[in-house]
Amino acid sequence: MDQDDYKPRLQSYSRRLFVQRAGLLSGMVALGGGSYLLNPTGAWAASPIKVGIATDLTGPISWGGIPNSNVAKMVIQDINASGGLLGRPLQMILEDTATNEALAVTKVRKLVQKDKVDVVFGGITSSMRNAIKDTIVNRGKTLYIYPQLYEGKECTQYLYCTGPTPAQQCDTFIPWLIKNGGRKFYLPSADYVWPHVLNAYARNVIEKNGGEVVGEEYFPVDHNEYSATVQKIMSNKVNVVFNTTIPPGVAAFFKQLYEAGFQKNGGRLACVYYDENALNITPAHEIEGLASCLDYFKAVNDPYGNKLQEKYSKLFGDKNPFTAGSAATGMYRGIRLWAEAVRTAKSVKREPVAAALDHARIADGPGGGSEVVPGTRHLKMNMYTAVAKSGKYEIVEKSNGPVMPGECA
Amino acid sequence: MSVVSFAFDVLAYSAIFILVVMGLGVIASMMGIFNFAHGEFVLLGAYTVYLFQERGLPVWAGMLAAPFAVAVVGLLLERTVIRRFYAAPVAAMLGTYAIGLSLREGVRGLLAGQFYSVISPLVGSFDLGDISVSKWKAAVILMTLLVMVGSWLLLTRTRFGLQVRATLENPALARASGISTDKIYAATFSFGAALAGLAGGLMVPIYSLNADMGVPFLIKSFLAVMLGGAGGFEGSMAGAAFVGASSAALPWVIKPVVADVLVFVIAIAIVKFRPEGLLSRWRSS
Repeated sequence: MDQDDYKPRLQSYSRRLFVQRAGLLSGMVALGGGSYLLNPTGAWAASPIKVGIATDLTGPISWGGIPNSNVAKMVIQDINASGGLLGRPLQMILEDTATNEALAVTKVRKLVQKDKVDVVFGGITSSMRNAIKDTIVNRGKTLYIYPQLYEGKECTQYLYCTGPTPAQQCDTFIPWLIKNGGRKFYLPSADYVWPHVLNAYARNVIEKNGGEVVGEEYFPVDHNEYSATVQKIMSNKVNVVFNTTIPPGVAAFFKQLYEAGFQKNGGRLACVYYDENALNITPAHEIEGLASCLDYFKAVNDPYGNKLQEKYSKLFGDKNPFTAGSAATGMYRGIRLWAEAVRTAKSVKREPVAAALDHARIADGPGGGSEVVPGTRHLKMNMYTAVAKSGKYEIVEKSNGPVMPGECA
Repeated sequence: MSVVSFAFDVLAYSAIFILVVMGLGVIASMMGIFNFAHGEFVLLGAYTVYLFQERGLPVWAGMLAAPFAVAVVGLLLERTVIRRFYAAPVAAMLGTYAIGLSLREGVRGLLAGQFYSVISPLVGSFDLGDISVSKWKAAVILMTLLVMVGSWLLLTRTRFGLQVRATLENPALARASGISTDKIYAATFSFGAALAGLAGGLMVPIYSLNADMGVPFLIKSFLAVMLGGAGGFEGSMAGAAFVGASSAALPWVIKPVVADVLVFVIAIAIVKFRPEGLLSRWRSS
């Protein structure tokens, strides 16, 4: 088509047209991603208890958000199938926060103000938790449960953290790494809050156990060229690379490290968010021997966890597996503990549920039972160290009973 | 010896970067359109290779198919959407951005938000004394050179290239001389898309397949094209070589987070003192 044809149309781009289009656009942005309602099936005499789930079903963190919402669906269906809570069914209101903190605030505001949910579960990244917690806890006067492993130091009242903390992921893991890798550590990291705070904790544990941190380096989260760092790791004869770079950057880093011969020379790769899901990020041979420390691996092979896995696969398939690094195990524990607290408190009101949640416990779960450490709003739970061998994990060490979270004491 | 590995790493990253910028540069310099969906064309190329791997077909066949698959997508988009934007470069940016977003979220849906690795046709590395050189990266450097020379010959030594350049210089005169500028624009756009698809196919074994894989390259690619300025295709290549090499080399001497910013600062300074960039061409037309 002739380019000149467009000129009149461009000139006629009036203010009215601009306002119309801007209005349409902002409307679309405000509506954003989806919002889903899952009503309980069957006939119930009582009105439902409303459970708000706010997680990233789309955007870069959707690998974690999808299994989170799946697990929530599964647990809520289970609770409804066994008679609900206090004779009332659970209704799940799912909001897609789309890996966008600004949008998420609007979404959780809808949950607490319009839907008037009794509890909110969700958030994967720390930035998401920090963005939405005030709207839920302070202004919304609602209980908030955060499921992901994280950097610790979250001591907001009415906010419960059900994922592992630095103490749980480092206290036994780092001594194991020193024994099964060596004393010289390198900490390559993505430049955001979790790696910074976790590294400060890890460095302390490394030095206490006679290790040494040769280098600590931060990269933009989507960095994809690591030759300078790989060179430093190789020339300093580092024993353990304690990695906190994250996807997508981590794939390029692991490949460059492998190609430089780090593992071949006896180096040990360690990464505490690496679960079964993350094994897909790089070819298996590039992360042979990678060690991770989490609250659950499929390889734990506990009967209860296996039963959950089977049920989960039947409901949702295997594309978004039920793993620990995606916060799915934290979501499982969170909903079960909250349900226990509601039963104990015989209420869904915030004060009595929080009081009951303060010492709630569940006897089973993926990887074992867990309980809230009173006064800390964090959990003690079993931790497992696993090593990747030919694309599968093998458990090499199990914590001696539940590990304390070491937060907010 | 670390000099050799340093040089190789800088060269390898620059090659990948040039490969990505080439398609963007062709479209920007020949059509005056900044294609914000370029990163997603790269992604589609990578996705094509992944589909081949998943079906049990050879990965190299996927790499051959990727440019053609993405060219078809590019052609369809040009015929339906892009052609409406030629007179409005700013609207074109927004329009292609929207296309990119749709493609990205579409692929994310297909992958269920997951990351997948693609195994390169050449696995492992050569050992040269103390240092290891990745076989696949060496192959990518070679292929980049071939594609560069091939594209350059196509645009400067063939009838098609002449028509493309004529259409760029003076569309009215080109039409008067019997060149269908409409077809030339469509062909150029899908050629640019094909180059993006090839880049995606070749680089996916080095990174991993995920919906956001094109994003980190996009802004730096624009920087490269701006640096190249009005020099057309070769200018973009020079810009890409500069941005790629400095992105890889600077972290050897300063903190990576600072290096990332410094690349932009240096490039902006260059644009400031050599302002015959794309923007000046827009202003004059």
